[in-house]
Amino acid sequence: MKELFPIKQVMGFIFSLVLTAVALAVYFFDMSFTAGMTILLVTAFIQAGLQLVMFMHAGESEDKAHIYTNVYYGIFIAIVTILGTLLTMVWGYV
Amino acid sequence: MKIDHSLPLEYSTQENQMKILGFWIFLGAEIMLFATLFASYFVLAPRTGSGPAGSSIFELTPVLAETILLLTSSFTIGLAIHAMRLGRTKPMLVFFGITLILGLAFLGVEIYEFNHYIHVGAALQTSAFTSILLTTLGTHGAHVTFGLVWGLFIMIQIKKNGLTPQTANKSFIFSLYWHFLDVVWIFIFSFIYLKGMM
Repeated sequence: MKELFPIKQVMGFIFSLVLTAVALAVYFFDMSFTAGMTILLVTAFIQAGLQLVMFMHAGESEDKAHIYTNVYYGIFIAIVTILGTLLTMVWGYV
Repeated sequence: MKIDHSLPLEYSTQENQMKILGFWIFLGAEIMLFATLFASYFVLAPRTGSGPAGSSIFELTPVLAETILLLTSSFTIGLAIHAMRLGRTKPMLVFFGITLILGLAFLGVEIYEFNHYIHVGAALQTSAFTSILLTTLGTHGAHVTFGLVWGLFIMIQIKKNGLTPQTANKSFIFSLYWHFLDVVWIFIFSFIYLKGMM
């Protein structure tokens, strides 16, 4: 039974619950928009990295370099899309 | 077909390795798909027109329930893959089944939530905000729904054929998909719900 619950994954799961609890701080405590967004950005990206490396085994095969290149590319385009949109449509040149 | 026994079953043939790499490329495209939805959401979120704003319709309890259900299901599919690598078909199927049940529960809560939104006057056509909100949540929910059907069929195949290079490969790819949906949810939870209720 014990071998079915590897300590690494159990710890990962507990850590992801802790990150969720930390993110909840922005709901329960009064804080500035900047402070809140900083907490959310940090917890969300750690959480995503945790899933990617620990649960999705992104680095275990010989295609490791291809997989990471592809994921980084996807994330790069995602960030450019989101920040570019915010820059032109929200933050703007007003 | 050449089977390399030094590798886990899901990687054991050249074709299997290519399928896993191919699926990662698909996930890269999915990251970009959700990025466009988030970009639109951030632009349209303040445009509530005569409809309600996020802060007045979001409820913490169902959102937190969805988050914990999905996080736990992501953990159990990880355990299923771990059991698969130990060659333990039965525990693997149990974990796989738990994952799908948690996914179904997630979907149940999401349906309740959508029903609540429509009830309080936040339907798809109410405002730019409600449109992009329901489109983003709905795209994620549609992925979960598809995953439930896909996962069920993989379970049936494992039941019929046991763990083979093919079924192990399909299971592993399904686990990638499921973890990815959890990652997307984390961003929805943080940047749509918590940001909206801040």
